Amino acid sequence: MKFADILKLSLNGLTHRGLRSWLTILGIIVGVAAVIAMLSIGAGMSQSMKSQMSNFGADVLTVSVGRTRAFGPESGFTNRFQPGESGSPPGMQGQTSQTTTTATTATLTDTDLLAISKAEGVETVSGIISGRATVQYLAQTVTVTVEGIEPSAWNSMTTSKLASGRLLESGESTNVVIGNGVANGMFDYNLTIDTQIRIGSKTFTIVGILAESGTGSFGGDDRTIFMTIQVAREIVTDIGNNDYSSIQVKVTDTNAVDQIIENVKQVLYTSRMVTSDTADFTVTSPTSMLATIQSTMQTLTFFLTGIAAISLLVGAIGIANTMFMSVMERTRLIGILKSIGTRNSEIMKMFLAESGIIGLMGGLLGIFLGFIVVGVISSIGFNIMGMGRMGTNTSVAIVTPELILFALAFSTIIGIVSGLIPARKAANLQVVEAMRSE
Amino acid sequence: MTSTIIELQDVKKIYKMNGVETPALRGVSLKINKGEFVAIMGPSGSGKSTLLHMVGALDTPTSGKVFLDGVDISTLKESDLARLRGNKIGIVFQFFNLHPTLTALENIELPMIIVEKDKKERQQRALELIKAVGLEHRAHHLPSQMSGGEQQRIAIARALANDPEIILADELTGNLDTKTKAEIMSFLLQLQKEKKMTVTIITHEPEIAQYAETIIHIVDGKIKVGG
Repeated sequence: MKFADILKLSLNGLTHRGLRSWLTILGIIVGVAAVIAMLSIGAGMSQSMKSQMSNFGADVLTVSVGRTRAFGPESGFTNRFQPGESGSPPGMQGQTSQTTTTATTATLTDTDLLAISKAEGVETVSGIISGRATVQYLAQTVTVTVEGIEPSAWNSMTTSKLASGRLLESGESTNVVIGNGVANGMFDYNLTIDTQIRIGSKTFTIVGILAESGTGSFGGDDRTIFMTIQVAREIVTDIGNNDYSSIQVKVTDTNAVDQIIENVKQVLYTSRMVTSDTADFTVTSPTSMLATIQSTMQTLTFFLTGIAAISLLVGAIGIANTMFMSVMERTRLIGILKSIGTRNSEIMKMFLAESGIIGLMGGLLGIFLGFIVVGVISSIGFNIMGMGRMGTNTSVAIVTPELILFALAFSTIIGIVSGLIPARKAANLQVVEAMRSE
Repeated sequence: MTSTIIELQDVKKIYKMNGVETPALRGVSLKINKGEFVAIMGPSGSGKSTLLHMVGALDTPTSGKVFLDGVDISTLKESDLARLRGNKIGIVFQFFNLHPTLTALENIELPMIIVEKDKKERQQRALELIKAVGLEHRAHHLPSQMSGGEQQRIAIARALANDPEIILADELTGNLDTKTKAEIMSFLLQLQKEKKMTVTIITHEPEIAQYAETIIHIVDGKIKVGG
């Protein structure tokens, strides 16, 4: 029997059991659509992350207080305030304690800054303080993040672009540069160059507006106001005079970032008198952050896809069930087919073709449905994990041709594998026994 | 000059069900000549259907040998045996012979599709056959849309599709009215006469058996001599 004729007979059987065939196919459609949606959303999110991360500048490390791993907040936070155990050297420690208005906030100090600047592979360091401040413009008051920076260092490290105006210069005490989000949309009237605003108790002139940048530690400046660090200390009063919220470190060699991170950690262990177990700071690089985010994304994608795969498995069981029913119902027909010359192998192929077609159809329509789901999710904006704040024109989900081919092949194979046992059962029926059944 | 087309040598068939052995044939030897019209008669449970299955290469004997056209069928592989059935034997059963989701014409075409005959040839042949059984107006009907007699005629047409040497029929007139019975039997008789086909039928109706040249009586799995 020619394979084309076997296929025709299989299709004939499927179309004559229309509703049941469709219900079985539906099981696969849902499974495939779920897998497609999850995989492409995963791919889209990590791509979106990647494109956002590239704003950071690969040669800038960020040192911040607090830890991202190990024994949780208790050990880190309590140890930090035991004299001699953490923080600055004894002399420094006393001074810090007196000037720090909020005693529960751990800080990076001048000593740390100095120590880092001497670490191998560090080109420049720049301390930053950040805090919240009230900003007044035309009788409207908004609380905004304020960052105090050292212009010469910051300007060389930032990847933010200017939309208009200029960057700050050292020693400027009455000028600010503002993020795009501050300029547009934060106040009822948009802010422009040379506009005067009140921050805390002082009046500043806007000299520069940054281009829209998205988010991020160093480049994500949309909703931040920048001023020189000296002025910022007068406005953000809860940070000690010799303390910093974070330290930006420019490295000499982007290929040696991992080694330089290690160097920076080592000098900080010494300057802060901590060990790697009690470390109360974190050093991050764009690449390490990217890797962390990527691996988180990957786990999430795996997890979601796993759940979707379960529905695909249920669909496969559905195929097997339908095929078993079909073999039982058609026992007599199988007997007739054999009595007029059909080989066992041809009966087997006939049933495998049926289940394969169910799988293929499910795959095709599942991809289609998956596309729709992906499209809907993309257009809604997808706010999971702060995705909403990220670039607005980045696609949230990506469906690749490979994914489509994979889905088609996979669903067809699922169909065939599910049909294997029923098809064998059909092929091995004895003609006489089959003929006896009604 | 007659030659043997079917030969059974001391064929025994024992069915095993749940450990209980039920002998269906207890040693049957017979020869059927080419072009012969044979009727197998016997009460139900006598083993006549089993005998027909042996003759039609649908089942293998527990012991003994079955020769079809001189070939010992126990020496054939499953796939060759299947094709042997397709090419040399046309079988008509009592009920539900047809592929339920294929039309009458497609059903007739089916055996030719199985043995991979040329498409044009098989479509032409199917048309000839449906005309021969007088059902061309039913060509595109499904079996469920036809009467029992019509279905049996389509089944006969299908059995003839590959020009078999042997036609086997198991109670094919069992549930038909007298007029249809007569029509179908005379059709078979005509095939035997004109095409020199070997026809073997199973029946429990003496008036049907009358059409045959040879009547074999089988009782309790054995041929009743002098029946």
